Amino acid sequence: MRPKIITFICVIGYLSVVFTFPQVFSPQIKKLGVFVPAIYGILVAANFIACVGLWYFKQWGVQLYVISIFAKLLFYILSNQMGFGFYFNIILSFIFILILLRFYPKMNQNL
Amino acid sequence: MLWVLFKESLFFAWQSLNSNKLRSFLSLLGITIGIFAIILVFTIVDGLESNIRGSIQSLGNNVVYIQKWPWDFGPDYPWWKYINRPVPKYYELDELQKRCKSTEAIAYRMGKRRTLKYKSNSIQNAVVAGISHDFYKIKNFDLTSGRYFTQNETDAGYHLALIGASIADGLFPNEDPIGKEIKISGHKAVVIGVIKKEGESLLGISFDYQVITPFNFARYFLDPNSENADPIIYAKARPNVSNAEMMGELTGIMRAIRKLKPLGEPNFALNETSLISKGFDGLFDIIGTAGWIIGGFSILVGGFGIANIMFVSVRERTNLIGIQKSLGAKNFFILVQFLGESVMLSTIGGFFGLLITYIITALGKDVIDMDISLTSTNIILGFTISILIGIISGFIPAYSASQLDPVEAIRSN
Repeated sequence: MRPKIITFICVIGYLSVVFTFPQVFSPQIKKLGVFVPAIYGILVAANFIACVGLWYFKQWGVQLYVISIFAKLLFYILSNQMGFGFYFNIILSFIFILILLRFYPKMNQNL
Repeated sequence: MLWVLFKESLFFAWQSLNSNKLRSFLSLLGITIGIFAIILVFTIVDGLESNIRGSIQSLGNNVVYIQKWPWDFGPDYPWWKYINRPVPKYYELDELQKRCKSTEAIAYRMGKRRTLKYKSNSIQNAVVAGISHDFYKIKNFDLTSGRYFTQNETDAGYHLALIGASIADGLFPNEDPIGKEIKISGHKAVVIGVIKKEGESLLGISFDYQVITPFNFARYFLDPNSENADPIIYAKARPNVSNAEMMGELTGIMRAIRKLKPLGEPNFALNETSLISKGFDGLFDIIGTAGWIIGGFSILVGGFGIANIMFVSVRERTNLIGIQKSLGAKNFFILVQFLGESVMLSTIGGFFGLLITYIITALGKDVIDMDISLTSTNIILGFTISILIGIISGFIPAYSASQLDPVEAIRSN
């Protein structure tokens, strides 16, 4: 049984994917380089897949979530997009990661 | 092993798409329209941008325009501040040439639309410009035939003219224009050169429809003191001299020439081409964002369509999934199989979207006579979006299929 807080994190994650996916082909991201939209898109897709993993209460979901969050932060730093959203993202993501780590041992280890 | 898995999953995916052709067609239509909408807008914006930037580039990055009116694209243009300013004068050019050290060349130009005649042929509203000799050092243009003015010819105001390619075609359809006498507002001028065709420009900056004459000859039919003649003094910076440095010196000299008080407002404007670029940046951002929003929603709808069809596909093949799992198929295999189907579906949709974009831009290029073509960047972007939408919309159905219990799956109808 999935705890309600994980459901909440997943819903937030799905919503953030719906809103960040269009950014993949936004003029701002496109300006950064030919392959930048593809890289950013992979990060968004990884974030989404991680949320699916969390929804099914799988350990790989947490692992992928942590990797995708750090990769996304690295992307924002390298592309110099560190506005208010960036810091808000850091705080929210770290809170979520702490919650997820608390439930990590109880999660399913299989695919 | 991975290759075999990938090949098999693609085979299954292809079989599924092939067995439900209408359903596959309808579900990929959403992606096709989405990719078409967004890539078409990006292609048009890129084409317009490159055309306008090319035109701006042809004005010269290191050239400063001394004019009456400043280039300002803001909503609140304070025209009342500038309306009483004098236009740049030809004698100011002489002073600037004598005093300015940071410039490689300084030139003067004025121009207005006039009627041209040669025998029974005539062209109305051709731009006729009167220039100082160093104009060729500022503006890059090549001649297909003939020559440029000599220093003596420009200084003395010989009745000579260089004509643009379209003017040459219009006045001299079947003969060589060099040496022929044309009439500019009734004043005779001998054609000594034809400027190479430049093509259409969105900014309307092209020598194709222009006639260039020496300033002292142009004074017969253009009034240099009139604002209608749009007099401009161009200053080109020396190599290794920045525009800012040159503008500092030009400001000082112009203030001295016009005898302005040290703290008084300048009554001239120094304009740079970067100002035009900045003006257009905002416009391109708006068009790009509009296209992004329209295309983004189309793609989202297409993505939901694919997700829907994948859920139906999983439901239909639940028995088959059960049999595959009972025969030893791993969860990962089932996942890749359905994900492959979804990605294949959206990639095919994206391919058709790009194909339609390519066809439309190829047809449109001939109609609007402008270089608009599907770039490799936009092709990569189109395929990237297609693959991503395939992964995102197909992952949940694929994962739910991979998690099915084989016994329950076989039992289901």
